[in-house]
Amino acid sequence: MQFNPDKYGWPWFPGTVSWVIPTALSVIALKQSAPCCRTEPIVNRIQLGTEMLRDRACPQGGWNAGNGIVFGSALAPHIDTTAIALLALTEGNDTTVVQGLNWLRQACVDCSSPYSLAWSAIACAVHRDEALNHCIAGLGKRLSSTDAISNIETLSLAAIALKAAEGNANPFEEVI
Amino acid sequence: MNRRDWLTAAAVASGSALSMMRLQQHKYSRDLRPKRSRVAVLHTDQYSDKLDEVVYDGLRLFNLNVRGKSILLKPNIVEYIPGKPVNTDTQLIGAAVEAFLRLDAASVTVGEGPGHHRDTDLLLYETGLSDQLAHRKIGFVDLNRDDLIKTKLQANYSDLGHLWLPRTVLASDFIVSMPKVKTHHWTGVTLSMKNMFGIIPGSRYGWPKNVLHWAGIHESILDICATVRPHFVIADAVIGMEGDGPLNGTARRMNQIVLSDDPVAADVMSARAIGVMPEQITYIQEAARFLGNPRAHDIL
Repeated sequence: MQFNPDKYGWPWFPGTVSWVIPTALSVIALKQSAPCCRTEPIVNRIQLGTEMLRDRACPQGGWNAGNGIVFGSALAPHIDTTAIALLALTEGNDTTVVQGLNWLRQACVDCSSPYSLAWSAIACAVHRDEALNHCIAGLGKRLSSTDAISNIETLSLAAIALKAAEGNANPFEEVI
Repeated sequence: MNRRDWLTAAAVASGSALSMMRLQQHKYSRDLRPKRSRVAVLHTDQYSDKLDEVVYDGLRLFNLNVRGKSILLKPNIVEYIPGKPVNTDTQLIGAAVEAFLRLDAASVTVGEGPGHHRDTDLLLYETGLSDQLAHRKIGFVDLNRDDLIKTKLQANYSDLGHLWLPRTVLASDFIVSMPKVKTHHWTGVTLSMKNMFGIIPGSRYGWPKNVLHWAGIHESILDICATVRPHFVIADAVIGMEGDGPLNGTARRMNQIVLSDDPVAADVMSARAIGVMPEQITYIQEAARFLGNPRAHDIL
């Protein structure tokens, strides 16, 4: 493993260790919970979670489930994990974010999955990234097939992504 | 010093966690070892349509009574890494589907809950399994997102007590574990029993199912298999993985498919095939006390 254990976030299950997706979703929730009047503990926890996400990025950009390197081997990023991490890291001029977005743009080109395309579209909408159009086109193409949606989670994400692309409310957009 | 203290001291002196376990009270509630265990090692040098006949002929050696039963095939689908033999081969999965249908199974379903990849559909597409299943008109259940039933564990190595398990798994008449034979950097090997980690639902325990790691991987394997013991094993050892498995190792050609009606016998045979001594794998040794027989009585 190659990571800084002092930079930690949130686990999937109480009493275990930090992983990218629960940390990203927790950071997003904290950012949205008190946008006007964040207390110092909230600010510090957002900061620590954000540092954990930057620390765990894959060497090529983007995020795997946890660490970017295990036993000396670089892990490949996942599309959905990368998109969710990018939703938590909304500050501009961040090298990790730029690398993550660059990787996501490439990965979306051949992506066949509505689930990953929906998360990517939502992330691209928040980051005002031009890859949004490609993700939405791909999502539309996949949705035209009757058996494309395999679960309610994907259906919900697809609906959010399509709304976000139209400029309507994106629940992952940070409230300022 | 009373008897319990003496036994504890003796176990500590032996310096082995496994010895410690053996001296303690039984941690399993049922002895599931069959009277006879059978293993067949099929030889094939490639993944192709020819596997349909190879697997069917292999299964017929066992005279399995699967007529009218619902079959769940549980392959090992983890991650798609081009050029790396990470997952159970899709041709082999398809061949197993076909073989059980030819043996008059009422239904065959393929189910898996990938450990740290949430986008199961993408994984099925990338590995080619979705095409294979569509071609054979077979359904797939994402065990990470299935309906769940709270289930008491039938052993207590992990102290977890219970786990929420997928309805599809519990409702199946006949479960077939289909591992990819690989070394594993935490457990030594990942075979038919470790493959059962994949029935634990991510929707309840996360991606990865980290609670199992914290409860002890060997201990969790034993508890899961004591509760949902695979009825049969079809292990993909045509091309396995050695070295830094289960993801980043190197391909190892063995040209074998291991069939068994006993997961312990199958794992002992498969471990040896990949060059690992099963005597050194804690969970295999402990499983031999109540889950199955380390030595097959019949080599078919």
